[in-house]
Amino acid sequence: MTQMLTVMGARIIEILQLIGGIALFFLRTLRALVPPKYDARETWRAFYKVGVQSYTIVILTAMFTGAIMVIQAGGTIQASRATSFVGWAAGFTVLSEIGPVLIGLMFSGRVGANNTAELGTMVVTEQVDALRTLAIDPMNYLAVPRFIAMIVMLFLLVALGDLFALLGGAITSHVMLDISYSVFVSQVIDAQLLDEYILGLIKGSLFGMSIAIVSCYFGFTVRGGAPGVGRAVNNSVVASAIGILAIDLLVGIIHHAVR
Amino acid sequence: MIVAKGVGKSFGGERILSGVDLTFHEGEVVGIVGPGGVGKSLLMKILCGLVEPDEGEVTVFGRSWADLSVTERAKLRERFGMLFQNYALFDFMTVGENVAFPLVQRGDMSAQDVQERVVERLTQVELSGVNHLYSRELSGGMKKRVALARATIGEAPIIIYDDPTAGLDPVTSSKIFNLISDLQRPDSLSLITSHDIERMMPVCQRYIMLYQGGVYFRGTAQEAKQSQDPVLRVFFGGDAVDVGRRTMAGAEGIS
Ligand SMILES: Nc1ncnc2c1ncn2[C@@H]1O[C@H](COP(=O)(O)OP(=O)(O)O)[C@@H](O)[C@H]1O
Ligand SMILES: [Mg+2]
Repeated sequence: MTQMLTVMGARIIEILQLIGGIALFFLRTLRALVPPKYDARETWRAFYKVGVQSYTIVILTAMFTGAIMVIQAGGTIQASRATSFVGWAAGFTVLSEIGPVLIGLMFSGRVGANNTAELGTMVVTEQVDALRTLAIDPMNYLAVPRFIAMIVMLFLLVALGDLFALLGGAITSHVMLDISYSVFVSQVIDAQLLDEYILGLIKGSLFGMSIAIVSCYFGFTVRGGAPGVGRAVNNSVVASAIGILAIDLLVGIIHHAVR
Repeated sequence: MIVAKGVGKSFGGERILSGVDLTFHEGEVVGIVGPGGVGKSLLMKILCGLVEPDEGEVTVFGRSWADLSVTERAKLRERFGMLFQNYALFDFMTVGENVAFPLVQRGDMSAQDVQERVVERLTQVELSGVNHLYSRELSGGMKKRVALARATIGEAPIIIYDDPTAGLDPVTSSKIFNLISDLQRPDSLSLITSHDIERMMPVCQRYIMLYQGGVYFRGTAQEAKQSQDPVLRVFFGGDAVDVGRRTMAGAEGIS
């Protein structure tokens, strides 16, 4: 019993240390943002990589999400003959909730994991040390460009993903519920989902921020050669997922309170 | 040029180095030797200010790392050229860009001059014509030579070669040490860590041996060989295989 408590206690301390480390890293990143002296070439490279790595999976995820939402809502809606709600039902959950969360999770699995692996490899092959001997601050050179790129790109990807989610929803409605595209579109427009759309975009940016911080943190703190990189990638993806869900909950609560 | 006083460092409760006192002068080539995992790389990083020691201090050109601001540290680090044990070649840059990087970063040469220097230095390490390749396309020996070119191109007054022949075959190793010897300038300080004493012999004037957490020996290879200490004799190309060698072999690979 006491042994179990000791193990649990140690684990809790470990987790608190981790959260502290990540928070500190977040502050250091923010401090490195001003004055803006990040490397233009690295930033461009980060944007390019993040975009190329993620747009296909984001589009696919979004289309499936839209389709699934229509199928989920479809049964109830058909039974109650309220087919005019299908656009609203699909739009509402996808834009504000499922869309950003699923896109964020996919993004974390792809871009975040890749980022941790890349930075971790740079640590174990001493590239980060080499940068420092060349008087380059790894925070400015590596962390800040990735931070900016992930926030901006996840914002854009959620915006893009929303369109594809609605497309997926429209196709499914057409095929399964026999609702024409124009009706679906007008339903979505009538539903006045601008609020949800903006909420989704805000969430997307926040998810991008947390994925950037978490994945950079785990990358920079890699120890123990190549096996260490593998472990870090694993931990990074898990921590990012928890971060995404926590932010989603937090934003949901705040949004609810404000309304 | 570099003075270390009472330097100590632990990781997670494990004491790696303690009470290390060292002085290095201009024009010297010093071999830092010792079994794998003893802390040679760590000591090099402490000397060039990449790692802060827990105890003691390191002064370079009379200035202590501990007293310097972030910008001053960055400035002082420019006086070092560094070859890292794990190559540390930037994998997002070509060979040419890697070698040019210290000069580009310093920003006091025209792009054309930089290019000329890069070509010249790559030719010196017998790697002309690979400028456009990425480090993943190179063999281990080639990577070390690229790293050698990058470490020396800035003609820094202090150059640290951390295990320049780790994992290389004997022929390539000898070649690397010859190159280091060729690139040595009379007014610079070079520190070379290795456990390949036999091949570093022609290059180094004196040695520091780290063993069991501190400086175990300092002096010339001649002195080490004539010593009665079995560990020293074994390590410096001594005669018999004894306990010392076995413990060292056991520690190899931890690096
Ligand atoms: N950043 C670090 N974190 C934890 N342990 C480290 C770190 N750097 C070095 N060590 C430990 O210090 C010891 C010495 O390593 P190193 O200097 O690489 O040895 P050498 O170069 O002599 O082979 C090793 O046991 C290594 O695990
Ligand atoms: Mg080493």
